[in-house]
Amino acid sequence: MLNFIINLSNNSGYIVSLTILTSVFAIFALGLNLQWGFSGLINFGHIAFMTIGAYTTVMLSLSGVPLIVAVIIGAGLAALLGFFIGISTLRLREDYLAIVTIGVSELVRLVANNEEWLTRGVQGVRRYQIPFVDWEPGILGKVIAIALLTGIAIFAQWQLLRGIKNQFKEYRSVQNKSYQPTKPIVCIIWGAIATIVILFIYINGIISLYNYHYQAGLMVLALLILALVYSGLEILVRSPWGRVIKAIREDEEIARALGKNVFFYKLQAFMLGGAIAGVAGSFYAWQLNAVYPTSFEPLQTFNAWIIVVVGGAGNNPGTILGAIIFWTYDAVTRFLLPQLGIDNARLSALRIMVIGLILMILVMWRPQGILGKKEELTLGK
Amino acid sequence: MTKNILLSAKGLSKSFGGIKAVNNATIELKSGSITGLIGPNGAGKTTLFNLLANFYTPDRGEVIFASKPIHQLPTHKIARQGMVRTFQVARVLSRLSVLENMLLAPQKQTGENIIKVWLDRKTIKKEEKLNREKAMSILESVGLDSKAKDYAGALSGGQRKLLEIARTLMSDPKLILLDEPAAGVNPTLINQICDHIVNWNKAGISFLIIEHNMDVIMSLCDRIWVLAEGSNLADGTPEEIQNNPHVLEAYLGQ
Ligand SMILES: Nc1ncnc2c1ncn2[C@@H]1O[C@H](COP(=O)(O)OP(=O)(O)OP(=O)(O)O)[C@@H](O)[C@H]1O
Ligand SMILES: [Mg+2]
Repeated sequence: MLNFIINLSNNSGYIVSLTILTSVFAIFALGLNLQWGFSGLINFGHIAFMTIGAYTTVMLSLSGVPLIVAVIIGAGLAALLGFFIGISTLRLREDYLAIVTIGVSELVRLVANNEEWLTRGVQGVRRYQIPFVDWEPGILGKVIAIALLTGIAIFAQWQLLRGIKNQFKEYRSVQNKSYQPTKPIVCIIWGAIATIVILFIYINGIISLYNYHYQAGLMVLALLILALVYSGLEILVRSPWGRVIKAIREDEEIARALGKNVFFYKLQAFMLGGAIAGVAGSFYAWQLNAVYPTSFEPLQTFNAWIIVVVGGAGNNPGTILGAIIFWTYDAVTRFLLPQLGIDNARLSALRIMVIGLILMILVMWRPQGILGKKEELTLGK
Repeated sequence: MTKNILLSAKGLSKSFGGIKAVNNATIELKSGSITGLIGPNGAGKTTLFNLLANFYTPDRGEVIFASKPIHQLPTHKIARQGMVRTFQVARVLSRLSVLENMLLAPQKQTGENIIKVWLDRKTIKKEEKLNREKAMSILESVGLDSKAKDYAGALSGGQRKLLEIARTLMSDPKLILLDEPAAGVNPTLINQICDHIVNWNKAGISFLIIEHNMDVIMSLCDRIWVLAEGSNLADGTPEEIQNNPHVLEAYLGQ
């Protein structure tokens, strides 16, 4: 145990940035999950929202706007982009949205690349303000941060236990239902794994807060925002609003016949998903220390899709799980593969190949994603 | 007298390319009535429904519902006026539970407002509870209560029809448009559906029913409108329609 803790404290900085990245991509993918998983809106340009959030935050804070305000404006502009994409395509057939999002995301990338007056182009933006960088916490500050982290960990564990309890309940009331809920043993295994992850992040968080570095503060903030976005979305998708959105995903004619303004709901979901990605963008910029157009390649959209698909579309805990798996995979391959004597150029190719392979296996073995329900794929319209 | 008229559509026309699916059609029904709409296949009945419920914009004509012109309204506002339709091929939200299908229908739910979802959770909880009770009692009356928590996509064809009709009731409509409620449904269930329609009608809901099953139409309806090739062929009481030579001719062909 002691060994483990010493080991952990040596690598704690790396694990902190891994935790931040995981939180950032979990938030990012939660936005996509709202758009696609719950509302059925195909967004192949999700990175555009993140780009706007990131650049707005750093450029505004460089010109002296307080960080919180900069983040809010960044999210607002991302939502505005969603608004413009939405009003032009959401009335049309769904494939139009998919195509337009690809185009717009390329457009945003080109602006980031070439409009130097706005984004400084390829030389990128550096030395912008990052939360907690100048903060030197005393004992009180550290205690508060640790208390906050503890609160988040308890919240996560509570959510987990509640989820498992609901699964158990569903399993017991299986009569009269046409589907097979997850077996209790599977729930317990996943619950145990998730508990270990929570504990691991928590213990490492405490160590890093104790040997304070600004990234530790950033990590607590990122986890806090993730928890807020997650619970906000969970309330939303279980509300009557969420029901309408899911109904539109299933068959928008029904929603229309029952008096729902389909276009307006789609627009709301699309804009909110964009705003959430914008917030993720602010944190991404802070984590990166310097933003370049190359940080916002279309590949990131693809990564968000992987996260959502792996976790199970239309499932918020699944999306967070997907983000954890994605970054664990990233870390493991980054450390393990070089030890097998594979050089760097082959390494990155191999990593992407393996992702492809995993996706193929997943689609064959569990097309609904890890936490998704199989019946949701096979039920006819 | 005119005060009693719930729905009145005049001079409705709709063409798809060269096909005049509905051509200068008129229909009128009284508040509290059960009205039938019959005609051969392809007569334009479903298209007429789509025009009434504004799923299609009419090329010409007007629709007055509860003394208000509604043909200019956006589709989703029609249900708010108190007119809800069903589809010829029953449509359910497959990956939502039967209960959730029901809960979608009530109008003006507080929780449909994205801001209030977070700020007014108490009101929403209260509304949800009331709606859920109402939904369960309607489901019980059509024998679907045991399926409440199951996916709607797992229902049989007939059960879907029942769910679709039950769902329209959740929105407190004045008028329900049913497109072939008895098609593909077994005779016992047809009788049940008919009984329900009579009961709901007694509770004050008017019905406009498209149906090829003449027993259903003749036993339920106060008045029947006949459509052929997009235009009005006849209208009258069930007896008048049954004895109308034009109607027999249209149905039996020459
Ligand atoms: N969306 C559409 N596009 C093109 N033609 C259409 C469309 N909808 C209906 N039609 C045509 O309009 C005519 C009337 O169709 P409609 O579905 O209204 O008939 P119906 O009376 O409901 O028939 P049935 O009893 O078979 O349901 C048909 O010739 C049909 O081909
Ligand atoms: Mg029809």
